Amino acid sequence: MRNTLATKLLFELSQPGRRGARLPVCDVPVRPVDALLPAAAVADEPPPLPELAEPDVVRHFSNLSTLNMSVDTHFYPLGSCTMKYNPKRNERMASLPGMVALHPYQPEETLQGMLQLLYELQQMLGEISGLPGVSLQPAAGAHGELTALMVAAAHFKELGEIRTKVLTPDSAHGTNPASASMAGFQTVTVKSTSAGLVDMADLRAKLDDDVAVFMITNPNTLGIFDDQVAEIADLVHKQGGLIYLDGANMNAIMGITRPGDFGADMMHFNPHKTFSGPHGGGGPGAGPICVSAKLEPYLPTPVVGMCEDRYTLEWDRPKSIGRVRSFFGNVGVLVRAYCYILTHGPDGLRRVSENAVLNANYLLSRVKHILPVPQGERCMHEFVASASRLKKEKSVTAMHLAKRLLDYGYHAPTVYFPLTVPEAMMIEPTETESKETLDAFAETLFRITDEPAELLHDAPHSTTISRPDEVRAARNPVLKWTSA
Amino acid sequence: MPYTFNTDEEQSEMLGAIGAASLDDLFACIPPSLRLDRPLELPVALSEIELAQHMSRLAGINVPAGERSCFLGGGSYDHFVPAVVDAIAGRGEFFTSYTPYQPEVSQGNLQATFEYQTLICQLTGMDVSNASLYDGGSAAVEAVLLCMSVTKRPRKVVTAASVHPEYRKIIETYFSQLDAELVTVGAADGTVSLEALAAAVDDETACVLLQHPNFFGSLEDVEAIAKIAHDRGALLAMSVDPISLGLLKRPGELGADVVVAEGQALGTPMQYGGPYLGIMACREKFVRRLPGRIAGQTVDRRDRRCWVLTLQTREQHIRRDKSTSNICTNQGLFALRAAIYLAALGPQGLRETADLCLQKSHYAIDQITAAERFELAFAAPTFKEFVIRDRSGQVDDVLSTALDAGILAGVPLGRWYPELADCLLIAVTEKRTRREIDALADCFTRATSAASVARMSG
Repeated sequence: MRNTLATKLLFELSQPGRRGARLPVCDVPVRPVDALLPAAAVADEPPPLPELAEPDVVRHFSNLSTLNMSVDTHFYPLGSCTMKYNPKRNERMASLPGMVALHPYQPEETLQGMLQLLYELQQMLGEISGLPGVSLQPAAGAHGELTALMVAAAHFKELGEIRTKVLTPDSAHGTNPASASMAGFQTVTVKSTSAGLVDMADLRAKLDDDVAVFMITNPNTLGIFDDQVAEIADLVHKQGGLIYLDGANMNAIMGITRPGDFGADMMHFNPHKTFSGPHGGGGPGAGPICVSAKLEPYLPTPVVGMCEDRYTLEWDRPKSIGRVRSFFGNVGVLVRAYCYILTHGPDGLRRVSENAVLNANYLLSRVKHILPVPQGERCMHEFVASASRLKKEKSVTAMHLAKRLLDYGYHAPTVYFPLTVPEAMMIEPTETESKETLDAFAETLFRITDEPAELLHDAPHSTTISRPDEVRAARNPVLKWTSA
Repeated sequence: MPYTFNTDEEQSEMLGAIGAASLDDLFACIPPSLRLDRPLELPVALSEIELAQHMSRLAGINVPAGERSCFLGGGSYDHFVPAVVDAIAGRGEFFTSYTPYQPEVSQGNLQATFEYQTLICQLTGMDVSNASLYDGGSAAVEAVLLCMSVTKRPRKVVTAASVHPEYRKIIETYFSQLDAELVTVGAADGTVSLEALAAAVDDETACVLLQHPNFFGSLEDVEAIAKIAHDRGALLAMSVDPISLGLLKRPGELGADVVVAEGQALGTPMQYGGPYLGIMACREKFVRRLPGRIAGQTVDRRDRRCWVLTLQTREQHIRRDKSTSNICTNQGLFALRAAIYLAALGPQGLRETADLCLQKSHYAIDQITAAERFELAFAAPTFKEFVIRDRSGQVDDVLSTALDAGILAGVPLGRWYPELADCLLIAVTEKRTRREIDALADCFTRATSAASVARMSG
């Protein structure tokens, strides 16, 4: 059934002289290239790209696509990534010529529909977060973190305060300390308690006048809402610091609680998670940030404003940090987020979160007897189970379970993150899965744990490849095709 | 609630299994004082029909440049996107998958990424490419950060006024936190002043960041600039137009150490500025400092060729604050689109596309400058984009005349270059027909005669 001819590398399919696209005959007078460009600048030959006919290209990539699992085809409970259904209607809306064929430097009067959409999205995100200042510019969650930390740095600079440290809990996403480092801060890690919450004693010990920002993910990466968050915010604020909320887990709390109301000064959204933007095999995302009113002047330029029924790009922002990417932002992702929010309305967004939390808790209740959750029996939108017991009793690790799940047609959960849980399996079912799917997944896990350990050690068995040698890939990097 | 399944009955059943009394009970961990005690203030939910009507209305208010005669450039272009790109990239198996953390069920994405990296190396003449970054601007900042790291010269980078002003602004924004300085040398003639550059580059300089063809569309003297940089132990980071590489010498042959590009031209629609594709490639010796994801070839346990994400010890999820960058995502979908685009065009298709841009843009120059009021601002050779100066110091009247005729005539440069407030940046892609170019030139001519009428009557 597999077409292995078509999935050879493009370069191996290439035949000299074959070609796909044809361009129109030039309809203006043609001059020799060397009459227009200096000879030293011009290449003798075009780049050595592969030569293929259009049907080759289509068959090649279509066959490649069938080697992927995806949300359209499989249950994809990849914790922390919120792999929910990507609505088809949003694709149609984002592809309207009046949306997709807009150049970033068109005059504002030709963009009033787009600017209205972006203005309204700013308002919506401000309302959902409880933080009124919004920048849609950052291109991804990590980019939003970095942008917000620059906003914080500009704020402290204006106050004349020198603050060098950013605190992150040990359960934080890797992007948090990496963003802090890029923004010129030193990262200090705060411990978590065995219950998965911020260790308040450790926080108090590390909190001083040098701390600019405490970056917290809430619900955190263990899927737990840290109910100390208001107290944490108070402590940090009393020291003059700011709270950054990593919004990766907003799918759990929309319409239920707002970061701005529980003490956050800044946050980012991941519209590709919370608002259903398709993940595209690794991107694009977007990372709009929301900040409190006092930080709003520092946001990147431009933001969208409204003046007498006209939407405008506001450039004159003297305190702005500047710019973090070219053009306006990842607009295509933002248009999908806007459609998603409009489709749900206030009640719908709340129900999204309720059902995300219900699904996660239900799945937890079904699997906890074989995969205990060290941090308790309730969770928000995701939970982190541990395969430690299976490892001890049967020599079956989180990785073995993950690989064997692939054989049964399920994408694996996120494994070995967060780092604070041994043999971690981070499971996020999302609200767009049915009870039948959750039941079938749980039963598959039961079945797998009854299978002989050896069968699991070699899994997966049904995929086109199994257990690639990652050590070899890293030791002898082959990062491109070269002709033999 | 169009995308959830749970019926009321199922909800009760699930709550029972959990041992929770109600949905509200599941949120008991959130202190009541922190809960929102009112509904979110958002518009009421729309059905698909209502959503489509609303979005069509908004879309209808816009004037989509790509559906008119678009001569706008400056890093985003109305190039042709073959139907195969949309057809393949629109497949849910690509579109709705994610980062290939499980290589066994992600070989499609991984192989496509490996092919993308190879195509980028073929295009640029560089040794290695990553799996992509956000866009051309953030790729430029990553390029200079890489150079600062590998040269151990963390304090200074030299660039020129002919590099995209937004890219320079991004670098300044990042640098404001890093105690590093971006020195910008002038480009009064439309290209880098080599004397000023030679004076600015010193032993503290990590790299020279150059754009070629530059923001004004002009070709730089890359080899001379490379020599200035290398003589002082600095690297050459180069931002390029990927379409131009159908004709121009590849950066690898010109002495570039790191190459970045805005990859939008390779099969991605303009969509008001993003998402786009940040291309980044470098010399082999810098690979362990390259930011972002990289796919590599290996074999599986049965010795079958396959692909994985590799060299991950560079990345944030392993190295945290010691990583080469904080970037987590790549622009997978747009890297895929670029791969499909380049595969569909092939070497001849890319060369013909570049040649059409060259020929048509030069035809446009001739037609526009036939009117005495307008001249080329700079003498340097151009590829597909050029700067027209209005000797009468206006430009707004040309733009509005053109817009009335359904033509987006160019980007005024005054926003970034006060001294070029009388100038327009005009881009001509392979899509523009002679008829469209003539209509554009006609707007310039008509503006000229209107201006002279105004002068006479004034």
